[in-house]
Amino acid sequence: MTVVGRAWNRLSLPGKLFFTLAPLLLVTTIAVIAILVIFGQLIVDFLAANLPIVRFVVAVTAVLLMSVPTAFLIIYMEMKVIALMNLRLGPDRVGPYGSLLSVVHGLKVLMKEDFTPTGVDSIVFTLAPVVVYLASVMSLLVIPFAPGLFGQDLNVGLLYFFAVGGLSVVGLLMAGWSSFNKYSLLGGLRSAAQIISYEIPLTLSVVGVLILAGTMSLNQIVLDQRGSFLDWFAFKQPLGLLIFFIAATAEANRTPFDLTEADSEIVAGFATEYSGMRFGFFFFAEYVNVFIMSALIVSLFFGGWTAPFDWPWPVHIELNPGGLGIGLLILLAVAPVVGTLVLAAPFWVARSSMPAWQALIIGFVLLNLLIGLGLFALAFLGWEWVVGLFWFLGKTYGFVFTFVWMRGTLPRVRIDQLMGFAWKWLLPASLLNLFVTAGAVVVLGR
Amino acid sequence: MSQLVPGLGLARGMLLTLRRFFEPKATIRYPEEPPEGSPKFRGRLQLLYDEYGTLKCETCFQCAQACPIECIDMGGIDTKNRYHIHWGPPETYGERRDESALRRSGRPVPDPAYEHFGPIDLAPVEAALAEYDYDPKNLLPILEATQQAYGYLPVAAIKHISNMSGAWYAMIYGTASYYGHLRFEKKGDREQAAAVAASRPPESSYRSALQAALMGGAPVEDTTQPPAANKARGSSKVRGSSKGRGRPPRAN
Repeated sequence: MTVVGRAWNRLSLPGKLFFTLAPLLLVTTIAVIAILVIFGQLIVDFLAANLPIVRFVVAVTAVLLMSVPTAFLIIYMEMKVIALMNLRLGPDRVGPYGSLLSVVHGLKVLMKEDFTPTGVDSIVFTLAPVVVYLASVMSLLVIPFAPGLFGQDLNVGLLYFFAVGGLSVVGLLMAGWSSFNKYSLLGGLRSAAQIISYEIPLTLSVVGVLILAGTMSLNQIVLDQRGSFLDWFAFKQPLGLLIFFIAATAEANRTPFDLTEADSEIVAGFATEYSGMRFGFFFFAEYVNVFIMSALIVSLFFGGWTAPFDWPWPVHIELNPGGLGIGLLILLAVAPVVGTLVLAAPFWVARSSMPAWQALIIGFVLLNLLIGLGLFALAFLGWEWVVGLFWFLGKTYGFVFTFVWMRGTLPRVRIDQLMGFAWKWLLPASLLNLFVTAGAVVVLGR
Repeated sequence: MSQLVPGLGLARGMLLTLRRFFEPKATIRYPEEPPEGSPKFRGRLQLLYDEYGTLKCETCFQCAQACPIECIDMGGIDTKNRYHIHWGPPETYGERRDESALRRSGRPVPDPAYEHFGPIDLAPVEAALAEYDYDPKNLLPILEATQQAYGYLPVAAIKHISNMSGAWYAMIYGTASYYGHLRFEKKGDREQAAAVAASRPPESSYRSALQAALMGGAPVEDTTQPPAANKARGSSKVRGSSKGRGRPPRAN
């Protein structure tokens, strides 16, 4: 045995890992730097030439990353809001007001065994959650979050949305069929029947908006509603809004139309045989769907990221921190300490029972809050997209709350009522809405 | 109404849950927030001892009187060291005085052959009670009539009044002891004691005679208390310390 071999054998497992990875990292770093130095200009030119593709990749990554915290937030909202409506307290142990409980749920799902039952079609079984989740996340791509903040501004954005959103049915059917379980298959078929039925009034109710806006790009539709809140399509298309809302509820598999995973009837329907993170994907997709449907309602009928009214007192703040010179450095060094002390002083003076360190902590937290608020206010004034995101998310979470509120209130409908309602009421109503809108446009000339 | 307008029922349900959303919640976070007990709960009942190891309880019945759910029943001795005053619902009291209950609790079991108080003819009490309709509101006339019949208020008569009228013995005893003209012993007893005391030569005469025999001097004026009285008080104190715990001492 050579010297190197003996030395290698004496190493512990972490040591072996370190001495394998460290040279590899070193070599990779050097290689990357070398490539950047030699081909840097070439790479930049290449990226610039293929900017749409780069933009697409970045947007997809961002949307994928965004979907997880969104799902966490909505799951937490659902637990907390329904609990409050049931006169319970809901989650209150993990994090402030239990807000980290959904994260804990996610970690739990990650750590569970990923079980594949005997007799399943393992390829389809594995792919089904991926299809469902991707269908949800991909539809996020065309939604305009703020001016200039969207994945892609497709001129057939709405069509793309419904096409990709409809893909989730395929995923649900795949899950139901491949599970090798009668009940899962029933759940999958139910969901297919339901979603296909409701897709028609959903799409037809939007056509009225399309006629009014004259475009299928979601970004353009939002831009059309700019102005005061009276320009929103909700006031021009009230029937369309109602139909769209009902159909979107069914499309997102929410109460009262959550027959596909009716917890009390068929055990989670198509997801019965799933466990671990594969089930987690179905679960996440459901909540991302809630967000997407709310976002779409807001974009189509409630003006998207546009503010409901213009701020009557325009504010302009001219800040030039560089003008302070060396004073800026001193300010940066001194301001936090002084601010903490100043904010802590009243608490320390007012309550003699409070020790100084508690008052200091309170002062520090208050200072951070103040600075955060100030920065947000500055950003709100300075950047258009912050304003847009503020209004967009505000409206969207308002609708998310409405979905959760409905889940806390309404009982589940029967399957025949569900189908009858879609075909006998929603479809004629959406057709009526379409014809009336078209007639009005023809008569009044837009 | 909700049948006539489609969606009205939905809207009312939604408003209901929205109202619930803002209402106070029913959950109690138990280990951090102890739940509130019943409004009538007053804590655990306990008799306290002083630093000499004797009960602090004075048998004043104030706790039993104030108890909102009447769960306190207690016994004690009267001014003659007789263990028979009690306060409490008759059914509870009787149950706790039950022989098996006493045996289980380790207290002495009363001898059934033991006659607690001298038997008397109850006819005059019964007549007085019948005259005043067995009503405890007319307690004073009943007691006065009883005293007129017997010359004093025998314990057995008071017990009979308590049984027949439903008033607690302690209340009747309290009423009777409040009025000066009602008494618990025969009128003759006190007169006889006074007569005996009057016929005896005074204590000081013995002392002066003793003094004269020992020293041959003049008789000394009596200033101290007679030692016999001190002794008697001490023994009664010892008996009093066992109040409510031991066997009721015989009436003296």
